[in-house]
Amino acid sequence: MEPIIVTEHLSKSYRGHILAVNRVSFEVYKGEIFGFLGPNGAGKSTTIHMLTTIIRPTGGKARVCGFEAIREPHLVRKNVGFVSQDIAVDEALTGRENLALQGRFYHLRTDVILHRVQELLALVDLTDRADHLVSTYSGGMRKRLDIAEGLIHRPSVLFLDEPTLGLDIQTRHRIWEYVKKLREEQGITIFLTTHYMDEADSLCDRIAIIDHGQIVALGPPGNLKECIGGDLLSIKLVPGRWDENALQRDIASLPGVEKVSPGPDGSFSLIVQKGESAAPGILAALGEMGLEIQSISLKRPSLDDVFLYFTGRELRDEGADNFHRTNIALRRARSQ
Amino acid sequence: MKVFIADTWWVCWRELKHLQRQKIRIMLSLAQPIVWLALMGNLYQRIATIPGFPAPTYLDYMAPGIVIMVTLFGGVFGGMSVVWDRRLGFLQKMLASPVSRSSIVAGKMLSIAVQNGLQALLIFGLALAMGANFSAGPVGVFPLILLVTLLSMVFAGLSLALGAVLTSHEAMIAVTNFFTMPLMFTSSAMMPLEMMPHWLSRLARWNPLTYAIDPMRELFLHGWNAISIVQGVVVLTLAAAVAAVLATNLFKGHFT
Ligand SMILES: Nc1ncnc2c1ncn2[C@@H]1O[C@H](COP(=O)(O)OP(=O)(O)OP(=O)(O)O)[C@@H](O)[C@H]1O
Ligand SMILES: [Mg+2]
Repeated sequence: MEPIIVTEHLSKSYRGHILAVNRVSFEVYKGEIFGFLGPNGAGKSTTIHMLTTIIRPTGGKARVCGFEAIREPHLVRKNVGFVSQDIAVDEALTGRENLALQGRFYHLRTDVILHRVQELLALVDLTDRADHLVSTYSGGMRKRLDIAEGLIHRPSVLFLDEPTLGLDIQTRHRIWEYVKKLREEQGITIFLTTHYMDEADSLCDRIAIIDHGQIVALGPPGNLKECIGGDLLSIKLVPGRWDENALQRDIASLPGVEKVSPGPDGSFSLIVQKGESAAPGILAALGEMGLEIQSISLKRPSLDDVFLYFTGRELRDEGADNFHRTNIALRRARSQ
Repeated sequence: MKVFIADTWWVCWRELKHLQRQKIRIMLSLAQPIVWLALMGNLYQRIATIPGFPAPTYLDYMAPGIVIMVTLFGGVFGGMSVVWDRRLGFLQKMLASPVSRSSIVAGKMLSIAVQNGLQALLIFGLALAMGANFSAGPVGVFPLILLVTLLSMVFAGLSLALGAVLTSHEAMIAVTNFFTMPLMFTSSAMMPLEMMPHWLSRLARWNPLTYAIDPMRELFLHGWNAISIVQGVVVLTLAAAVAAVLATNLFKGHFT
């Protein structure tokens, strides 16, 4: 597969000491949907800003569409589309004017602009409202317009920074559909960031998990889940007089069990190979040891578990949602 | 170059659209000079009777002063739109596109110049209607507007340079207010150089405002004074160019 983005030890530090992105190296292949998954402040936007030449890296290299981001920013700019995390549409203009202006910024010919504006308005279902001022649009409509603007010059790579942040479920799913359609119909490479697990899981061909400015895991969602090495079995025991350490050792020696970690209040998290067939045996063995089981759960690893596995922390969608408002306010306050 | 001009125009087009769609801004920019003219023309009439005052009425003297004041106030807040664009993410969007950085600066400067030029034209008309005397005759309106647009570009450029560095509105307003009034009072907008204390008149010679006011006042009071016009145009063009280059470089330094 042909790489279209290549970074080598790409780094950005703000004011010399805040290391927002720390020597990341990765490749994105032509035509794939590549996701950057990470919590707030992980360095996702900073990476996108470096790849779209909005900010200059403080270290390392990046090649985008065959051009050096640092030395040939103007060539990179022509070839990539950028949809920022803030919904950056001009409220005082109509949807059509916004799109056309974007076309001007990319130096397209007037007839090309007219044609593409029409096409893109249809793509994002805004034809009816095209001549209304954007100040009368809902949040979801603005975001759709914003995404359409990123496509006006038919970029080879489209960067979407948190394209569904703060949108309702339906709108999120529609945006996923647009993204998939773009890749299928136009073969565009898509680089997106998100802190929604389900989004990364169902949309991306490959995911990089980024935390504290560093990539901690990279691969197709399925492979990442396989890293965990089995299914997740949680067992909660009725409180009794057993020794936690001894019991942990005993459980670990049972057939199929890969790893055991004790949790609070007599609970244990197990990683088990072939969970469905191994679980009954494990439970029976526990019964033979004279232990009473209060509850169990068995599941295949999700990206949440992958995230926890690699970073030691949870990244949950609800948390992200609650954060979202403060986060936007913060981001605006600090800007660049 | 063709690209630069086109980019500049589209950046400017957007600003003018904003203006056009904000009726309140248009109304206020019309009302403001009317209020000032009325106040100056009537309240301060008697200043003109001070011996040595260079004009027959205070209105004659102040009409160019008001043009300048409106231009100054319009120009110095020119950088505010950058602060907004940055907050809304629109600036990042422009920076990710092939639009040249210098066009962002030039387009915004141009939009402010257009706006101030139109406003100046209006004030000029009003002042004439109120009985001000314009010695240079109808053609004199061209150098007048040229001087106004150049002057507004000087201040818009400086303000944009400020906007490239400062990220908050509050800071912008504070810094701008700190400089605006002293700029006004250290120029010959309010008082002729000859009536100022010596130290002040020396300071006024370093103030770009003086280079717009003096030729304008000549046009009002005495008619054509080619030397003064050429001097004003040259000094202001240079100053506007320096401000534009400064702002563009600050933009480049801050982003790419
Ligand atoms: N202009 C700036 N000045 C100083 N620090 C900054 C600046 N922009 C970002 N940072 C810091 O860099 C780090 C990475 O920020 P970045 O915006 O890339 O995170 P992110 O992964 O996009 O997070 P989010 O999910 O909140 O958008 C953070 O610690 C942030 O505080
Ligand atoms: Mg971000």
